[in-house]
Amino acid sequence: MRRLSGRLRSALIIGLQGIRARKMRTLLSMVSLFLGVLAVVVVQAGASIADKALLSDIELTSAVDGTTIINLQMQPKATGIVLDTLHERSDAVAMLGVQAIIGEPNVAPVNPGASPFDEDWGGGVVCYGNGPCQPADAQPKGQAVEVRLTAMTGDVRPFRPLRPRTGQWLDFTTVPAMAPRIVVNREAAKGFERYQVPAEMRIGGAAANVTPQFVGVVDDGDAQPRAYVRLDELTTWLPETGLADPNSGGEMQVLVSPGSPVEQVLTAKLKGIGAETWTETVDAKKQMESQLKLLRLVFLAMAGLVLLIGVAGILNVGLATVGERVEEFALRRAVGTPRMLLAGIVLAETLLTGLFTAAVAIGLSAAGLRAVSVLVGDSEPFLRDLQFPWEAGIAGIIAGLVAGLLGGFIPALRAAGIPIATVMRA
Amino acid sequence: MSALIELTGITKVLKGQQEPRTILAGVNLTVQPGESVAIVGRSGSGKSTLLSVLGLFDRPDEGSYLLAGEDISRLPERKAAKLRSSHFGFVFQRFFLLKHLTAAQNVAMALVNGQGWLPRRERRARVLQALDQVGIAHLAKNRPARMSGGEQQRVAIARALVREPRVLLADEPTGALDTETGTAVIDALLGATERGCGLVLVTHDRDHAARMGRTLDLVDGVLTERVPA
Repeated sequence: MRRLSGRLRSALIIGLQGIRARKMRTLLSMVSLFLGVLAVVVVQAGASIADKALLSDIELTSAVDGTTIINLQMQPKATGIVLDTLHERSDAVAMLGVQAIIGEPNVAPVNPGASPFDEDWGGGVVCYGNGPCQPADAQPKGQAVEVRLTAMTGDVRPFRPLRPRTGQWLDFTTVPAMAPRIVVNREAAKGFERYQVPAEMRIGGAAANVTPQFVGVVDDGDAQPRAYVRLDELTTWLPETGLADPNSGGEMQVLVSPGSPVEQVLTAKLKGIGAETWTETVDAKKQMESQLKLLRLVFLAMAGLVLLIGVAGILNVGLATVGERVEEFALRRAVGTPRMLLAGIVLAETLLTGLFTAAVAIGLSAAGLRAVSVLVGDSEPFLRDLQFPWEAGIAGIIAGLVAGLLGGFIPALRAAGIPIATVMRA
Repeated sequence: MSALIELTGITKVLKGQQEPRTILAGVNLTVQPGESVAIVGRSGSGKSTLLSVLGLFDRPDEGSYLLAGEDISRLPERKAAKLRSSHFGFVFQRFFLLKHLTAAQNVAMALVNGQGWLPRRERRARVLQALDQVGIAHLAKNRPARMSGGEQQRVAIARALVREPRVLLADEPTGALDTETGTAVIDALLGATERGCGLVLVTHDRDHAARMGRTLDLVDGVLTERVPA
């Protein structure tokens, strides 16, 4: 082991001396290798960024990988069971959705059915505090915005990482407020920016209209205008049974952490009252990997070809250099340097050259990514705050080392085979 | 006590494209510790081939080669490299200094050769000691291009001495030097014999040969002792 360490150090010392003595050749080798290593780094970085962007989008609209989603059939008793089961639990959260109209009373919203503001879905139903629901067309149009109101039993962000845009997220640790605090999504924020509406919220089945407090805006990946509220702040005005009323457009979903017993318990309880459930586990990574695998392979193969051209460059320079250093290698053998170490010296030089090239390629890629993020980040959100993926750095280092190894192998063999008597004949 | 070097019946035949040519035909040679031996002969007489066999660059076809009583005639390359590092020092007509290295780094080449690892401080001390032995410690940081021929050859001698070899093999070390510088180089080589190192010098220069303890003639592949006149 000690002998190996001595030889390794010797190879590195002599290799570095060789690189310093032939700076121009090293530079030429690096130039020939640079594009190949850069291609590998860029492909790997691109793939990692695309992976993360896709995964992050899926997590935003669905849930974090591994989360179990239980969709429930709306039943008055179901809400009570769900709330009892999830009481003071952090490994699951329920999201109950109802229609809500914020703005002037007794008017049809500008977006009936909580449709996106630049689309018209038509139809829609307007419900009053204590009265029956009516078709939106039956009402005069006014300054009101309809949203899907999602009431949560706890913080949903560990399950769905909603991205805060402005203001703040809901605080679940404080005492419930009488005026429910709401966080709207970007589409809803667009509506409230476009239409100046009074802060009065009508919810189907609610005892009275309520005055909401707007505390923030999040990106939830939803095209529909949506608002998020603490369930305990909403139930002051709306009984739990009202939340489960299918006539008011109710929806219910429970998000459960992997390994939590909530899924089994809840499913069993709901089955007991005859409520149907639909359960799915988010497996976005696996699904995404199969989609991206082929694309990544094609790009990596192309990068590999460019790298091979670089290897040919290193090989060419390496052979020429060994040809010039015949006397040096013969002399080194004369003073007792084993053949293996001579090969090691040449390999050390090409491996170090590969590593230097990888360092340059990684540095430039990281700087390029930063520049793109700064310059185009505002128009392309997925490019904002991009970090250089460490996988691309590792891929660059491996590409540099492999190229150094392949390009240096034949010159190393040739160096090891130089006859020692060369020094005697000179 | 066994001799430092003992060659018996060493034969070397060159097998080229033409007919095989016998270069060494049963050479016998004994060198004692601290002894200096000059080998003289015409060009092509086999002096360098004999030195190649002595330095384990080449293997004899026949005969035995004992180093301090141990038979090393048929050593595998790995062991031969180890022995070259630990027991032999070489000085060539051309100095073979690497121009991109300083004098000290050229000498250190014999220490950074994969045969054991010395810490940097110890390496530096031994290099400076070797350069001091040949009187050029003050040139340690100079590159070969800034040194005279004699100084370069002394660096080469320091490189040969730095591992404190038991045998010093010199192949016409004064061939590229003027008489005065050549004499100084021979002085440096003979200095090593005073510390018990055996010296085998191949030379064309009869004056330098005369300064050795013994002079041997290599004629037609056979080594004969020259009787002093």
